[in-house]
Amino acid sequence: MNEVCFKNLDKKDSWSLAVYEASGGYSVWRKILRGELTPEQIIDELKASGLRGRGGAGFPTGLKWSFMPRNSAGQKYVVCNSDEGEPGTCKDRDILRYNPHAVIEGMAIGGFVMNATTGYNYIRGEFIEPFNRFEGALKEAYAAGLLGENISDSGVDFNLYAHLGAGAYVCGEETALLESIEGKKGQPRFKPPFPANVGLYGKPTTINNTESFASVADILSKGGKWFADLGVENSGGCKLFSVSGHVKNPANFEVSMGTPFKDLLEMAGGMRDGAKLKAVIPGGSSTPVLTADVAMAMTMDYDGIEKAGSMLGAGSVIVMDESTCMVETLTRLAHFYYDESCGQCTPCREGTGWLYRALKRITDGNGKDGDIELLLNVQDKIMGNTICALGDAAAMPVESFLRNFREEFEYYIEHGKSMVKG
Amino acid sequence: MAKIEIEIDGKMVRAKPGEMLISVTDREGISVPRFCYHKKLSVAASCRMCLVDVEGAPKPQPACSTPISEGMKIHTQNEKSKSSQKAVMEFLLINHPLDCPICDQGGECELQDVAVEYGSDVSCFSEGKRIVADNDIGPLIQTDMTRCIHCTRCVRFGAEIAGIMEMGGTGRGDHLKIEPFLTEGVTSELSGNMIDVCPVGALTSKPFRYELRSWQMNSTSTIARHDLVGSNINAQTYKGNVKRVVSGDNDAVNETWISDRDRFSYEGLSHENRLLEPQIKIEGQWKEVGWHVALDYAVKGLTSNILNNHQSDQLGVMASKTSTVEEFYLLQKIAREIGSENIDYRLNIKNLDNTAKLESNIKLGGLEGVDHALIVGSNPRLEQPMINHRLRKASLNGTSVDVINSMKFDFNYQLNSENIIAPNQIASTLAGVLSSVLASVSIELPDYLQSIKVSKESASIAEKLNNSDNSVIVLGEHVVNAENSATIVNLIAQIAKHTNSTTLNLSTTANSLAAELTGFVPGSKGMNVNAMLESDLKAYILLDIYPEYDFHHADKAIDALNDKDNFVISLNGFKNDIVSEYSDVILPIAAFYETSGTHININGDMQSFAASVVAPGESKPAWKVFKVLADLLKLPGFNYVDSTQITEEVSHQAHNNHLHNENIDLSITSDNINIIWQQSPYSIDALLRHSGSLQQTKIGKLNFAYMNASVAKDLGVSADSKYLGVPVVITDAVADRCVFVNANKATQTGGES
Amino acid sequence: MISDQAKKQIDAWVAKYPEDRKSSAVMEALKIVQAENDNSLSAESIQDVADYLGMPGIAAAEVATFYENYNHKPVGKHVIRFCHNISCMLNGSDDLISHLEDKLGVKTGEVTKDGLISVKKVECLGACVGAPMFQIGDQYYENLTAEKIDEIVDGLK
Ligand SMILES: Cc1cc2nc3c(=O)[nH]c(=O)nc-3n(C[C@H](O)[C@H](O)[C@H](O)COP(=O)(O)O)c2cc1C
Ligand code: SF4
Ligand code: FES
Ligand code: FES
Repeated sequence: MNEVCFKNLDKKDSWSLAVYEASGGYSVWRKILRGELTPEQIIDELKASGLRGRGGAGFPTGLKWSFMPRNSAGQKYVVCNSDEGEPGTCKDRDILRYNPHAVIEGMAIGGFVMNATTGYNYIRGEFIEPFNRFEGALKEAYAAGLLGENISDSGVDFNLYAHLGAGAYVCGEETALLESIEGKKGQPRFKPPFPANVGLYGKPTTINNTESFASVADILSKGGKWFADLGVENSGGCKLFSVSGHVKNPANFEVSMGTPFKDLLEMAGGMRDGAKLKAVIPGGSSTPVLTADVAMAMTMDYDGIEKAGSMLGAGSVIVMDESTCMVETLTRLAHFYYDESCGQCTPCREGTGWLYRALKRITDGNGKDGDIELLLNVQDKIMGNTICALGDAAAMPVESFLRNFREEFEYYIEHGKSMVKG
Repeated sequence: MAKIEIEIDGKMVRAKPGEMLISVTDREGISVPRFCYHKKLSVAASCRMCLVDVEGAPKPQPACSTPISEGMKIHTQNEKSKSSQKAVMEFLLINHPLDCPICDQGGECELQDVAVEYGSDVSCFSEGKRIVADNDIGPLIQTDMTRCIHCTRCVRFGAEIAGIMEMGGTGRGDHLKIEPFLTEGVTSELSGNMIDVCPVGALTSKPFRYELRSWQMNSTSTIARHDLVGSNINAQTYKGNVKRVVSGDNDAVNETWISDRDRFSYEGLSHENRLLEPQIKIEGQWKEVGWHVALDYAVKGLTSNILNNHQSDQLGVMASKTSTVEEFYLLQKIAREIGSENIDYRLNIKNLDNTAKLESNIKLGGLEGVDHALIVGSNPRLEQPMINHRLRKASLNGTSVDVINSMKFDFNYQLNSENIIAPNQIASTLAGVLSSVLASVSIELPDYLQSIKVSKESASIAEKLNNSDNSVIVLGEHVVNAENSATIVNLIAQIAKHTNSTTLNLSTTANSLAAELTGFVPGSKGMNVNAMLESDLKAYILLDIYPEYDFHHADKAIDALNDKDNFVISLNGFKNDIVSEYSDVILPIAAFYETSGTHININGDMQSFAASVVAPGESKPAWKVFKVLADLLKLPGFNYVDSTQITEEVSHQAHNNHLHNENIDLSITSDNINIIWQQSPYSIDALLRHSGSLQQTKIGKLNFAYMNASVAKDLGVSADSKYLGVPVVITDAVADRCVFVNANKATQTGGES
Repeated sequence: MISDQAKKQIDAWVAKYPEDRKSSAVMEALKIVQAENDNSLSAESIQDVADYLGMPGIAAAEVATFYENYNHKPVGKHVIRFCHNISCMLNGSDDLISHLEDKLGVKTGEVTKDGLISVKKVECLGACVGAPMFQIGDQYYENLTAEKIDEIVDGLK
């Protein structure tokens, strides 16, 4: 447990440069500055590590970095996604608070590999404390001559800045995030073109999640194979899981990929008050909900969770006990997507409102025959038809809640009240 | 680039790699529904209406933003495409009021059209529709934002074409609201195009509101005559009245946009001030009469005043700049047949001995390709909106623009330099440019440049022109009455010659190119307008002239025309007291939209148009009036059956060049305060002045004399007073020793009258 | 009117972006100006920010109305931003919000009579393992209970 991003968690002032360097921090970056590592070597090592994007989509990081036209003329950018807004997710906040230098080193390495001399870390607007920690770390890194122009006479330039959001979940979507850095509304862009060709300010850009960046330096110092071996096939390394909900000790746990869910639940102290497990959302609010039996049999890795019928997403494990009313829970999630839709594309703008209003009507006691079909129909019409994945994210919970807990919905519609709460 | 092959609905199609799918389907006539896509705007890909099935792609792809590649197989009609399109349609309709019966867009609504095809089952939505409060965004555009489908075409139009972002989308999710910010509303000179781009009835024409359903109207294509572009427009008419004007498509002329001036001027047609009956003045009393009586009276007047006395050179004819080719041609022909060459249309020029010739030798489309432009004496955004649009497009593509003006204007593109100098300094600045240009190509300086010191500004303007392969010099209206205007023009011609620049002459507007082409200028024995006004002529024929607006020397003109001994025949579209006072016969004539005719634009295109409606009351197209008048005067050569015979004759006519001053004289350097008197953009002709809605806009209300504080002090005026009848604005935007007037009347007579 | 102090703060943000990309600083500029104006933004101050950064007013207004961190109506000196999303909800946020409303005598969205406090329900603040939680100013308060809330609120001045 806690071997990469959280390896210094227990140490006093774990966020300081001194602690970071004492545990081998910036050794990879210094090697690069000495000219002892090439971009190709780094990409190969990342590919070998099996590191997949920790922001939700799980795209192999090494491969992503290799897509950047590193030899094209002109400015290129590397951007870190610390917008962390997916309900259930709170790992990047802790990385920024307790290990900001790992993010800085990871971004600097990325900048070097992709020939991007400027980086921005987009931190969600509410994360003032993490922002201050990150700014503090930046100051330290600049003071130590680790960032800037022609760093230690290496000919390598890298400038890094933190950008603050202002409250919009959709800005976690990478192209909305770029719009936001440009000082616009956070409306996702259509693709193609992809950011690797047309990104921030129209320049080639690569965006990675905080945890992805924070894992890079350790992978390169200990080797891709070391990291891959921490995990399982197709899911290299370890991963931060935010376990929240009805557990005794909710917390972030950095564990090996492939850890059984029931072990993770154990680490979190098991169910609170001895209650019985009812449902688990394994990867953040957008991922399909699972029933207790299925969850208890699942392992926490990309394939394991997919086999169980959901997705690893951002590793945000939301645990629900028997007292949970699934209708009200879904209504709350539907409200979230309705509230957070950027509004540009028709199916999401109109569909999320429709889903939420229909669910609200049901929880207000005014459900009617056909509402379940209506919900299924509307989510189906959103699915796959939108510019960004927020539309799908809004649709998926509806489908899975209705599939797994249909009788609770039928009861609510028929009786005008919750089957669980009475 | 080599073409590639793709398959659409089983059909092999060739196209350019990277082209967007929708432009291929459009070209092939395959219909793909769309709302946010507009061929002249950036792609938004947000409405999701154009989703189609691309083999190999897990999700349906938007045709508007999917670049094609070799071997792609696309299905626009299969189950997957149709179900996505249907889903989007349903989403669009749940919050749409479906108030088609009371919507002005009814019958021409893109949403309605597509809904008929797809939106069969919209009934399952029962959660209560969204209602959006409306703001007043100005006198031209009516909003009903509850109908908005958030396609953002209007937003993109503003940001990309109009060049000022006035509309935006505030809020997010289903609170997203398309609206302007703050209270000024939408003020762009091109704002009306938002009505055309809006696919639904959210933005409609305010003057047209609740007038009619679109299918009740006839549409005729015609040509706008308020500027040098001759935008192609469609006049929509009902029972003999123009009810609305929308833009027409012509890539070489106005693409698909038109100015507000061209769109809304039709309102003036139905103004109560229209002149409807011929009238004659007998012993000081006006009397409405039939046409034959009026024309007899006119012929008698001409006969007794000039023909009988063999004083045919005592006839003067003048016409407004907006006249058609046919009108100019016939009126000058009458004068010449009678024996007079006192012919002129340049009523607003102070000194006609001080004019010089500058040709326009670049076309509108060509403007987009220049790499540098120098603009002298112009506010192109308001004076020639569609030409400015081309310059803006060029600028967005990297063209640099230098400006020499006497006042800072609100350009909607970036300027390389903006040189604000008084009109009497412009010549010396340009002389500096020429001197610097000649020096760089080692041509010996002519005498007049020997003593010129080249300023930093002149040198850098020269350098830009020298270093450009494809530059243009644009001359505007502001210097036509400068003390050394001919010198300015001749310097520009010289600079253009030595820098291989093209030139674009915007110093006169409307249909004045037609006046030049038809010889509506004084012949070698004739007098120009200013000379005529000094010569106690015995008879005049005046076409659509309103002296307090049209003449530079308005007071003098009114005096001269009021001379007891002359006989004045006026042809006008609108009533006017001053005209009534000096005229002996007033003949009511057709206005824009009511006559066939021809306009010549800056490209040199002769664009002919038919009448869209019949002129009201007894008014008649002026060209027909001239023909009958000529017949009554027994003049030969007027046997025209329709107006095309006239244009045919014009095109065979030798050009009739009037005198131009070719001197460059840099000796005039008075220290006078210079006045630039520029008619405000919506007051340049009689129809515009009677267009109610335009007059209420911010541009329509322009009536200010701008000057800096020191000039105000010298002139003894202050911010709340008037200068020559025009309210004073004190600002540093104007060059020193200079007053820039944007007025709705002509010089000297304004305001107090 | 933007104060010189605020301009200095804005300039520091502007410096992070390419020279011709001043509008990248609009989000922070709006926050800075909001903080100077009793925590809410008027149309005029939005226009001021737009002018200062050389962008159209409507573009700044788009930003100011898109993101949740801006207020367009009067709010309390302290805004309690209470998360009501899933993890917090599972941990009783709804009851705690009611408790807070009762204690303050206001509903969410309203301001206490003395202008000191207003309550806003917000979506997940990324502290789900500390649910239930709320934010006041820069500070997160986690693992809330009714007693803890009372203590925190009583300490607000
Ligand atoms: C609606 C939406 C919200 C997202 N939010 C986040 C987020 O908060 N943090 C994040 O890293 N990725 C988020 N993503 C995923 C990003 O778009 C992107 O895939 C990711 O930042 C890439 O980094 P990675 O490859 O390192 O995972 C979101 C995606 C969507 C569609
Ligand atoms: S899916 Fe939703 S959030 Fe994403 S672009 Fe469309 S409207 Fe915006
Ligand atoms: S037309 Fe393609 S998404 Fe709107
Ligand atoms: S759900 Fe409340 S902080 Fe995440």
